[in-house]
Amino acid sequence: MSKILIDIGSTYFKVSQDEGIAQYFRNFERNIYDDFQSRCGDLLSRYAKEDVHICSSANGGLSTLIIGLTHSFSLKYATNIAYNAGINIIDTVLYSHIHEYTPPQEQIDVVIIVGGIDGVKNIFDDTLLDYLKQINFHNIVYVGSDKSHSFMQENLENILILDNIINPKLQVRGEELKNFLTNLYQQDITGKEDIKHLYEFTSNQIYSTPYIVNRSMGMMHKTFEVADPFILIDIGGATTDIHYSRDLVVDNIVSESEYDRLVFKKLGVFKSRDSLVFSAKNNEFVYELLEFLNVTENILEEHSDNATKILMQLSIFLVLYKTSLHHNLYINLQLEKLNSIIFTGGITKVLQFEEVEMIVKFFCKKLLHFHQIPSLIIDDEYKIWTLGIKGSSHVS
Amino acid sequence: MKVVTGVVGNDIHVVANRLIDISLQERGFTVFNLGVNTYLEEFIDAVIETDADVLLVSSLNGEAEGWCRDLGILKSKFDLSGVVFMIGGNLSVGEVSTEEIIPKFQNYGFDLVSHQSDLNEGLDELEALLKERL
Ligand code: B12
Repeated sequence: MSKILIDIGSTYFKVSQDEGIAQYFRNFERNIYDDFQSRCGDLLSRYAKEDVHICSSANGGLSTLIIGLTHSFSLKYATNIAYNAGINIIDTVLYSHIHEYTPPQEQIDVVIIVGGIDGVKNIFDDTLLDYLKQINFHNIVYVGSDKSHSFMQENLENILILDNIINPKLQVRGEELKNFLTNLYQQDITGKEDIKHLYEFTSNQIYSTPYIVNRSMGMMHKTFEVADPFILIDIGGATTDIHYSRDLVVDNIVSESEYDRLVFKKLGVFKSRDSLVFSAKNNEFVYELLEFLNVTENILEEHSDNATKILMQLSIFLVLYKTSLHHNLYINLQLEKLNSIIFTGGITKVLQFEEVEMIVKFFCKKLLHFHQIPSLIIDDEYKIWTLGIKGSSHVS
Repeated sequence: MKVVTGVVGNDIHVVANRLIDISLQERGFTVFNLGVNTYLEEFIDAVIETDADVLLVSSLNGEAEGWCRDLGILKSKFDLSGVVFMIGGNLSVGEVSTEEIIPKFQNYGFDLVSHQSDLNEGLDELEALLKERL
């Protein structure tokens, strides 16, 4: 029996069957379950529950606060693990300067505390407890030095203690935390009113979409003509994700994963349109880019198909810019080494190949001073996501 | 005893770094080697995460001054009072006398400064200082 694969996105539902892929624009008047039921209910009734595979990015994911000892190790490692587990919203606090941070007002899904290799003593004290008293969180997990285990257990109710994510050689060891966060995401989905009912349609795990996409990275060569090293840019309505091969990074993270993920939560063209426009207006190259595209900045205020296209083009540019050495992020990619770029997500339904190519050319010429560009692949049939979800169903 | 080591700044000379790693291990130190191209902030962060006793910085390409000038500022942000700070390698460009170089780097906050001198002599000096401090 064939399978049906469903992706619940923030702006679209995508449904993939043997016959091909269909896409439905979300009706925001309705909750996810009702909207989905009304459009796809009939279709789904033709499949057995075990042949239905669902992934979702619609619930926005978990919000995470990481409190760590240093930027270069604990905070960086935990951030990297969280992104790879599919988490979008990450705030960090440097423990030595904790009094300078305003505690977040909104509800935090998970607080992660980390610092020190095993054996290091006296890292955390009452300052941590005082700070935590001011915030409202659901889960709390400790992944630092073993010498602080008893302090955490004695002072923080319900704290979960996992393996230190910093190994004795000061390298990252992320599996346990990654699994914990991935599972938490599942529970979160199950707990969210409109998504939990989706389990009526499937007997399989509902995964987070970025997790599924990241899983497909290693299988990419089977389906596409990609040359290593490559990146995948997933531009959707709310967030933009980059999945990159570790060969592109020079840093101190010695990890086992071949492909990592990074999220820009404010560069989507629908839900986070305002912040995309803001970020564009503040970029030193954007006016030149708009001129190159033959439009004026007024386009940024328009609501037309053409404006959407331009915004998507800008979003490609900004993502490349923000990961390049021109911009100081927690990670920089050596984009000059890049041999392929794959584009997926809503963007592939809006932009033509040439429109994507134009932007990449502009970027390579302006920022890398290259006249050659990497090979470009547009995943307009959403093969990547189906690859990942099928792969995951084999594993689980 | 724990030592954090590596080559500071945009410096890719790796040979000495490997030798230093091996020599320190032979002398019984636990070594955290951050390798080449390491920024001062990363060194300090590594000392904090490992609670190291020594930070041993190498610089070979002549850029030490530019990369290490801010050590004092970084040291003042954290409590690193028990840590020994050492630097060695080729600490300047061209022919500058050792007498000139040593006080300069001491002023930046290094306890031990070893310019174009033998590695083993340098490490003997380090061990002597650590003994003294005990
Ligand atoms: C091999 C080499 C290279 C190779 C490096 C390959 C590699 N990945 O390691 C390449 C070709 C890439 C290279 C590039 C450059 N190099 Co070069 N390179 C050398 C060379 C010939 C040998 C270095 C070496 O490996 N020596 C063997 C090791 C074991 O010795 P060592 O490095 O001196 O270290 C010893 C001591 O200094 C000491 N030590 C080191 N650190 C510490 C720390 C402490 C605490 C202590 C106690 C002791 C200590 O212990 C070691 C063992 O005794 C030296 C010249 C020379 N003969 O030394 C130039 C030299 C180091 N390079 C130099 C320069 C200028 C460069 C470039 C800037 C050249 C350029 N214009 O492009 C670039 C810099 C690139 C960069 N970003 O860093 C200069 C530095 C000048 C200065 N400091 O005043 C040197 C001295 C050549 C010269 N005389 O001009 N280089």
